[in-house]
Amino acid sequence: MASISDIALVTQVAVFHNKRAFDQLVRKYQSPVRRFFLNQTLGDEQLSDDLAQETFIKAYVSISKFRGMSSFSTWLMRIAYNVFYDQVRSKHLTDDIEESPSVMRQTASTGDSNIKMDIHAAMALLKTDERTCITLQLIDGYPIDEISKITGIAENTVKSHLKRGKEKMANYLRENGYGG
Amino acid sequence: MEDKNEMMLKQLFEQAAQQQIDDNGFTERVMMNLPEVGESRVRRLSRLWTMFCVVTALLIFWLTSGWGVIEGMMAGGKVMLINTIEVFMLTAPTTEIQINPWMVVLLLGFVLVFLPYQTFRKLSATL
Repeated sequence: MASISDIALVTQVAVFHNKRAFDQLVRKYQSPVRRFFLNQTLGDEQLSDDLAQETFIKAYVSISKFRGMSSFSTWLMRIAYNVFYDQVRSKHLTDDIEESPSVMRQTASTGDSNIKMDIHAAMALLKTDERTCITLQLIDGYPIDEISKITGIAENTVKSHLKRGKEKMANYLRENGYGG
Repeated sequence: MEDKNEMMLKQLFEQAAQQQIDDNGFTERVMMNLPEVGESRVRRLSRLWTMFCVVTALLIFWLTSGWGVIEGMMAGGKVMLINTIEVFMLTAPTTEIQINPWMVVLLLGFVLVFLPYQTFRKLSATL
C-alpha cells in the first residue's frame, strides 16, 4: 500500500495540480529511478537522465490514474519499466546494447570503480528481462511479487529470469577472480 | 552452489544498492519540462452537467415532498417482502424442485472462483 505522505502529495498533484507537491515527489524518487535506468543502460548517464525525465513527466500527466493499490514507488517503477521498454523497442536496442562497444566505453569513462565496471560487464551478458529482474531484486530490493507487478511478467518467469541471470553473472564474475 | 552464487552477488551488489544519486538540478529540469495539465473542455462540461442534474434532482425532491414518496415505497416494499417470504415458507416444503447437480457446481464455481478471480484481476490492473 502507498504511504500516507505519498498519498497526500499525489492527491495535491492530482486534484489541485500542485507542482510543489510534485517537486517533492521527484526529489524523493529521482535517485532510485535514475539508478534503475543507469543499470538498464549499463551506465549511460545521459540516456538514463532522459528516460528518468520522461518517466516523471508521464507520471505527472497520468497521476490521476494512481489508485493507491500499490506503493507509489511500485507504480512509478512500472512507468519507468514501460518507458525503458518503449525505448528498447523504438531503437531496437534489445540485442545491440549488450554488445555495443560504445556503451562499454561509456561505462569505463565514467570513472566507476573496478567492481562497478565488472558488475556492468556481467550485466551486459544478460538478456534485458533478466537484467531488469536482477537489478530490481539485488539493487532496488523489491520482492518477487513486486517485480512481477512492475514488469507485468508472471512470478514464475521472474524466478527463472533471476535464476538464469544470477548463474550467468556468477560464472562471469568467478572467471574474473571474484568469489574466491 | 546456488547459495554461494547468491551470497557473492549480494555482497557485490550491496554497494550498488546503497548508491544514492545526487539530484544535481535533475528535479529542476523535470519541473521546467512539465506540461500544463488543464482540465479538458469535455471534462469541464461533463462536471457542469453532473452538477446541474444533481441540483435539479434535489430541487424536484424538495418541491414534491420526496420523503413522503420514499417512505410510502419503503412501507409498500416491506409489506411485499414479508408477503413473499410468507408464501415461500408455506409452499416451499411441499414444492418439488428439480435440482441439476451440474448447475449447482457451475453456480458455485461462478460465485467462488470466477467472481473472486475477476475482482482480483481488476484490482491488480488498477495497481
